[in-house]
Amino acid sequence: MQYEVEVGARRRQVTLAREGDAFRVTVDERVYLVDARRVSATALSLLLVDDGEAGRSLDASVASLADAGAFEVRLAGHVVPLQIRPAGARAFGRRDAAAAGVGPQRVTAPMPGKVVKVLVAPGDEVAARQGLVVVEAMKMENELRAGRPGRVRDVAVAEGQSVEAGTLLVVVE
Amino acid sequence: MPVTKILIANRGEIAVRIIRACRDMGLPTVAVYSDCDRAALHVRMAGEAVHLGANPPRESYLRIDRILDAARRSGADAVHPGYGFLAENEDFAAACADAGLTFIGPSADAIRLMGSKTAARQAAMAAGVPVVPGTEAPLGEDVSDADVRRIADGIGYPLMLKAVAGGGGKGMRMVAAPEDLASALRAARSEAGSAFGDSSVYLERRLLRPRHIEVQLLGDHHGTVVPFVERECSIQRRHQKVVEESPSPVVSPELRERLTSAAAAVARSVGYTNAGTIEFLVDEDGAFYFLEMNTRLQVEHPITEMVTGVDLVQWQIRIARGEPLTLNPGQAIRPHGHAVECRVYAEDPAAGFMPSPGRIRGLRVPQGPGIRDDSGVYEGGEVPIFYDPMISKLVAWGEDRAHALARMRRALAEYEVLGIRTTIPFFQWVLDDEDFVAGRFDTTFIDRKLGGRNGEPLVAPPADLEELAAVAAAVHLATRPAAAAPAGVAGAGSRWQQAGRVEGLR
Repeated sequence: MQYEVEVGARRRQVTLAREGDAFRVTVDERVYLVDARRVSATALSLLLVDDGEAGRSLDASVASLADAGAFEVRLAGHVVPLQIRPAGARAFGRRDAAAAGVGPQRVTAPMPGKVVKVLVAPGDEVAARQGLVVVEAMKMENELRAGRPGRVRDVAVAEGQSVEAGTLLVVVE
Repeated sequence: MPVTKILIANRGEIAVRIIRACRDMGLPTVAVYSDCDRAALHVRMAGEAVHLGANPPRESYLRIDRILDAARRSGADAVHPGYGFLAENEDFAAACADAGLTFIGPSADAIRLMGSKTAARQAAMAAGVPVVPGTEAPLGEDVSDADVRRIADGIGYPLMLKAVAGGGGKGMRMVAAPEDLASALRAARSEAGSAFGDSSVYLERRLLRPRHIEVQLLGDHHGTVVPFVERECSIQRRHQKVVEESPSPVVSPELRERLTSAAAAVARSVGYTNAGTIEFLVDEDGAFYFLEMNTRLQVEHPITEMVTGVDLVQWQIRIARGEPLTLNPGQAIRPHGHAVECRVYAEDPAAGFMPSPGRIRGLRVPQGPGIRDDSGVYEGGEVPIFYDPMISKLVAWGEDRAHALARMRRALAEYEVLGIRTTIPFFQWVLDDEDFVAGRFDTTFIDRKLGGRNGEPLVAPPADLEELAAVAAAVHLATRPAAAAPAGVAGAGSRWQQAGRVEGLR
């Protein structure tokens, strides 16, 4: 089986083949021999047995998110978000373009709330991580920031306006 | 004061905590819930549950009339308010009394008095306890910016602007210089008005590098007040406590004696009953100032329970039904070991602590020696957008501070939450900070340290982890149970998988 995995802003080719009771997994050039046991619908116990000696034990949990192909993998105390799809399937969604740093940034409300402050106007130059809009939700005021530097093309909301999750707030190009 | 069946006028982890105390005492419980909380953990764990209304708090958890009606219909004779929502609302306490219900908390009069930050300061001064220099009367909307400016100049900068009816960091602003006053005043008034229905504020001098140290106490209806060993609550983000510990690493037995005596004096002077907490600011020289009183159980009460062995919620109930406070005051102020608490929030520390509501797709909570997880959620459950995003309080106990911190690090590494982001990586970062480990911090610690990072990730995953995550994800897809496999994932599957795929393609 072949997969394309996008993790940490890099795309990796992953090949997986059974080898006895284990899997031979190739990530780009690197080969892993993995003894895998499913523990629950989300949990796997993995032993990396490449060199035949005591295998490194990885307690992994994999949960699929609402977006097709989006997963969270937790191992060694860290949560790693990634996208995985069979090789040759259609490309990942629009998130890629934003993650890769091309095209305009569409800053949207992550949840329903109320716009309490608009910090920029069309034409403003903004730096990476500069605040754009303050949205009040879950009892707290949350500042939504620019992911990359750019120029504000459009401010789609006004102060005092209620917004739904996904409502477009600001476009930065 | 009969207390034979308790309605818990709250939700989430604190409702669960109170239900557990009731069960320990063999008391039946009644939960209340909003639309989205129908299957919440507190509803599942309670003996009975009554629907209140729609999701916004003012249509459910803040509806005094519906909560009283729920008590009447369920035959509850007592109400525990938890913290937040109606816990410090004197009208609610009075309405419970009028309806013949025992309110498990202080009297409505005590809530009214200590709930006004300016009246509470006067009460503290009357009891001989120093307060931070500031305004003695509330500054309502009718006080002009120019007048506030004049008063501020008299107190001196930097200063704190706080909501008279405040709490939880809302309506609070630090003002570094005169030119920042007007905008801070506008923001604090508007936040206070929407959070508490009262936009009055007051001014207080800001101490340099103060620590926030507080004293839990219990008072019964027979005149006994017992203070407890202090809690260190200086680790705050935007004026909200995020890590607490007990005892404080900087409080000597001598200072503890003075702090606890001062706290008890304030409580006695106002005839305080049930659980409450007096908050102090302690400056670098060990001088302390009364800050405010919280007339309720606090989020961080478990650390006191861990180092004293006292069940505070159980005592709240016993006090409410008129029992004398018979616990040993010596046990209450002598800490046994050390405890630390992390407030686990559904927030993304990598995105400016943006709330991260949603479905919890995976949950494994830490266990083992010295660990206590007071949680309000479960795997498959939803963290709604309408309420405070705290999902759990993780507490570690150890024989000393280093032991407690080591156990907390271990527990954070064990804690697994998938589907939503949490503040767990933030706590891992705090617990590895050398100043935190050395006990060198004040209330500005987190904002200073976070400000210096400029958005860099708090915890950097090891270099090979992304590759290993890709391995795990591929193995997961290749081995996952048929029912969960989506159409289009290639590979040699079972016939069920193939059948499922055909279904999916129809």
